Order: sequence, then structure tokens, then C-alpha cells
Amino acid sequence: MIPQSNRTSTKGRLCDGVLDLVPPVRLNKLAVSESKLLERHEEDVIFRHYEKRMVDFCNAFKPVMPKSVVGTAIMYFRRFYLNNSTMEYHPRIIMLTCAYLSCKVDEFNVSSTQFVGNLLQETPAGQEMVLEQILEYELLLIQQLNFHLVVHTPYRPMEGLLIDLKTRFPTLENPESLRKNADDFLTQAAMTDAGLLFPPSQIALTAILNSASRAGLSMESYLTECLQLKEDKETLSKMYESMRRMKTLLKKYELPKPEDVNACKKKLERIHAEFSSTSNKRKRGYEEDSHLAKEPRLTEEEWTDEDLL
Amino acid sequence: MSGLTRSWICENCVEMLFVRGSGNCVQCETPLRKSNFRVQLFEDPTVDKEVEIRKKVLKIYNKRDFDFPSLREYNDYLERVEDVVSNLTNNIDVENTKLQMEQYQRENRDLIQKNKVKLTREQEEVEELLLLEKQGNEQRRLELLQEEQRQLQAKRKNKQALLDELEHSQLPATMLLAQHKVRAAKLETQIEQQKQAVKPTSLFSTGINMRQTVSLQPPPRIEEVLYQYKPVHVETYGPPVPELELLSRLGYLNHVRAAMPQDTAGGYTSALACHRAIQDAFSGLFPLKR
Repeated sequence: MIPQSNRTSTKGRLCDGVLDLVPPVRLNKLAVSESKLLERHEEDVIFRHYEKRMVDFCNAFKPVMPKSVVGTAIMYFRRFYLNNSTMEYHPRIIMLTCAYLSCKVDEFNVSSTQFVGNLLQETPAGQEMVLEQILEYELLLIQQLNFHLVVHTPYRPMEGLLIDLKTRFPTLENPESLRKNADDFLTQAAMTDAGLLFPPSQIALTAILNSASRAGLSMESYLTECLQLKEDKETLSKMYESMRRMKTLLKKYELPKPEDVNACKKKLERIHAEFSSTSNKRKRGYEEDSHLAKEPRLTEEEWTDEDLL
Repeated sequence: MSGLTRSWICENCVEMLFVRGSGNCVQCETPLRKSNFRVQLFEDPTVDKEVEIRKKVLKIYNKRDFDFPSLREYNDYLERVEDVVSNLTNNIDVENTKLQMEQYQRENRDLIQKNKVKLTREQEEVEELLLLEKQGNEQRRLELLQEEQRQLQAKRKNKQALLDELEHSQLPATMLLAQHKVRAAKLETQIEQQKQAVKPTSLFSTGINMRQTVSLQPPPRIEEVLYQYKPVHVETYGPPVPELELLSRLGYLNHVRAAMPQDTAGGYTSALACHRAIQDAFSGLFPLKR
């Protein structure tokens, strides 16, 4: 399973007629293609850019957001864009909706006004508008997540492994020294597709083993003795294999370059401006109820990216 | 509607007809008695007629499914009953059918009697249950009404008392308000106590009303396969997790934040958090066996 391939299904989502006019242009370098719609790699650039923005937003959040909330928000964002396209739902609204929903789900109690109060570049009126948009998209987000709102992040498994190390593995004198590096590994892993490909306990174990090998400590005996894998060579080798794959995933991650980001963003804005008025935008999950329909929002495109952070 | 001649006459005309004692049916001139008339229940007169006939037939043909040695014979019997009913309803071969009925009646007189008794007993049971339900509902409704009345009255009295005091007494208004609040609280506790003190004395300890007739039908026996307990086995794809109770003995709890008094008061122990962390760490650790 290659991460990129998850997003192939998104192309077909936009207006049916337009795609026939677009010849599939495949370029090797990361240049913006001439077609009207975003290519796979361009969408990837957009996705990574907005994911970084979301992480920065969560890290600058007041009061301090716990790590699990941030992890949940990132996972929601990733899962949402597995089945939808950035051309259909603009990431800047979805990322705020993901953060908002994850605060609720993870019981990190923040009122909605407090939440939009963290959007420092906006006036209070602007914050109100953003809040309204978040509330509109919330139901859609939940629906696209298939109502699976509980996300198992690797933070608690990491705590559990540390506890286990301290209890059953006295050879390692100070497991606490591994914590910082493991944490960094986990934050990096959250920005990759590792959460979609490996169970959280395996990610945590990789984090700890990685941190131990960086410190020069060997943890082979932990795996063989404490996890009772002495006889089971096959499982052990499989585990090492998956850990290697995870590390490659992390190494492959890089932040997109600003010029690429800007180019792709311009394209995205153009697409949204063109197709939002003509296409049937189903941003509310309950639009079928006629008595709940509100007037079409004309002022939606007014606030731009620079208004955030 | 007349049972005998199957003709339909409205109530007023029935009255008029029988003012003179006995009368003749308007349509077919058969001499009729008033007792033969019944109120129509169904819209379609044929349906009503059939229902009447069925009731009469079933009074005679009242065997039950356990009276027959096999399902086939019971079904045959039911078919015969239906034939009789349909013959009488559609006026086919009425004479013969009536003869059949009388013959059957003569043959099975005892059985019919026995079954009649059984039927009435079951009916009684059902009626009892209905009665109980109704009584319960009535009681509850009355109680609620009374409660509301009482509370309203108490509140009104309280308010009145406060107003009077404010008018006449020399104490400052704040003190009066405080006194009033205390009195209101006392009143509420009183009402609560009253609610609990009311216990109906007309029930036996099993809940049966003292004046009620109880039918003594035995409850139906249900035989089923005996339940065998199988403990739940969850596949966690990881190393085994120690039990919650063993965690402290194994030394895990030394590495978890200890529970503060506020936490223990709420029922939290550090073993809970530790167990959850270990479970999360171990589940899914091993790759799937393909």
C-alpha cells in the first residue's frame, strides 16, 4: 500500500463533465501542470501544507492542547481527504473543523468562542463567520469519517511501553531518557501515513526502539524476553520489517517548498471560485431537509489563508 | 339486525315494531321476538352475519389443539368447522349442516362441557390482568393530581404568609426573606416525607389486591436447552496483558502516578490507568498471521 495511491479515487469526484476535457498530464518534476484541475502530487502539496498549518495552529492554541487532541485532529484530516478531494472541500475550513471536532471528541473542553478566539488575525466578526462555517461543515466531516470518531493515537501505547520497560526490563537503566526522542518520532509519524498503515502500538514500539538505537542502547533482549518472541522468529522478523518500512515513511516526509505551495494554492482558489457557484455543493450533511436550508452564503470566499495565524 | 332472518332494521323501527308486543320482520314477514336483535358491529353485513354464526358454531365445536393426537387431525377438524360456518353463512345446505351440528353435539357432550370450563377460566385471567392495569393507572393518576394540588396549596400559603409578614412585622426585609426561605425548605422536606409515608394497606405482600379473585391456572412450562457458560476470548494480537488485580504485585504501579485522595474517593485507582496503558501498548503489537 503506497500512501499516494489512496488519493487516486478523489479525482473523479468533481463535476462529471469537466474531466473529459482534461488530458492526463504526468510530469516528473514538481511543476504545476497546465490542466485546470489539481494533479495528484499537487493535491499532496496542498494537503501537506495545510496539515502543517493545522499542527501549528494546534500548537499555538490557548489553553494548551493535549497531544492526543492534536493527533486526533491530524488523523481526522487525513482520513477525510482519503475519500474527498481538496478541490471539493477547501482544506482551510476542514482543518479548523477537524481541530474543533477533535477537541469535542477527546473531551478537551473549549467553548466555540474560545476556539475561534485563537484565530489571531481575525476580527471578532470574522471569527464569528469562521465559526459559522465550522459548524456547517462539522456534520459533513463526521459523516465522511464514517462516524468513527474515536482515534487510537500512539501516545498511550508509548506510555504503556515505558511503564513495561521500567517494570520488566531492568537492563535499561533510565527509560525516561528515551521519552523525548520517542515523542519527536511520534510527532513526525503523525505527519505521515503511518497512522493509517500500522497499529498504534507498533508505531509506539518503533518510536522507542528508534530512540534507543539513537542513544546506542540495545533493546533486542526486550523483544525476545519480555514480549516472549524468543521462539517465534517469524513474528520477530516481520516486526522488524514493518519497523523498517515505518522509518522509511518518516524519512520520505518533507515539507513542501513555498513556491510550489503558492502555485498550487492559486490553482486551488481558481478552481473553488469557478466551481463553487455552479456545482451542487453538499457542505451540509442535512441539506435534504428543506425547512433547514439557509440562504446561500455569498460572503464565503472573502477571508483568505493569510487571515489564519 | 335480526339474528333469525338476517335482515337489517334501525333501532327506532325495532322499538316501534315491538311496541305492539311481537311483530313480523319487515322484509320477509317471519314472526320475530325482540331478543333476536343485535347491534351491528361490522360495516359489511355479510361479515357481521358470519361473525354471529361463527360464535354459535364455536360454542359447540370447541376442541383444542391438544385434544388431538396429531397436527393433521387437528387441521382436518378445523377444516370441518370452517365448512360448517361457510355453509350456514351462505345458506348452502342449511338443513344438513344443522343436522351435523346436532349430531356432533350429542356425541361430544362431555368434552364440550370440559372445554367450556377451561375457556372461561382463561378469559377470567385475561380480564383480571386488564383490570389490574386499569386500576394501577387510575391510582397513579389520582395520586399525581393530589400531589399537585397539595404542592400548589402549600406554595400559595407560603407566599401569603410572606406578604403578611412583610406588611405587619417590624423586622427588616432581608431577615424576613431568610426566614421565609427556611420555611419553604422545611415545607419541601415535609412533603417528601409525606410521600414516603403513604403505603397502601390494601395489598398483600406479593402485591395482589386483597379483594381480588385470583385464578389458579398454573403458569405455562417452557423447556429450553440449558445455557452453558463459555468465557469470552478476545484475540489481541499481542503479548498477554497482566490482570488488573496483579498489577501492583508485579510492580507496575510504582511507575504510574499515584492516585490522590480525591481520585480514590471517586473510585479511581492507579491500576486502572496502568492497565489501560499496558493494554493499549500490547494490543496489535504482533503482525497478523497470514
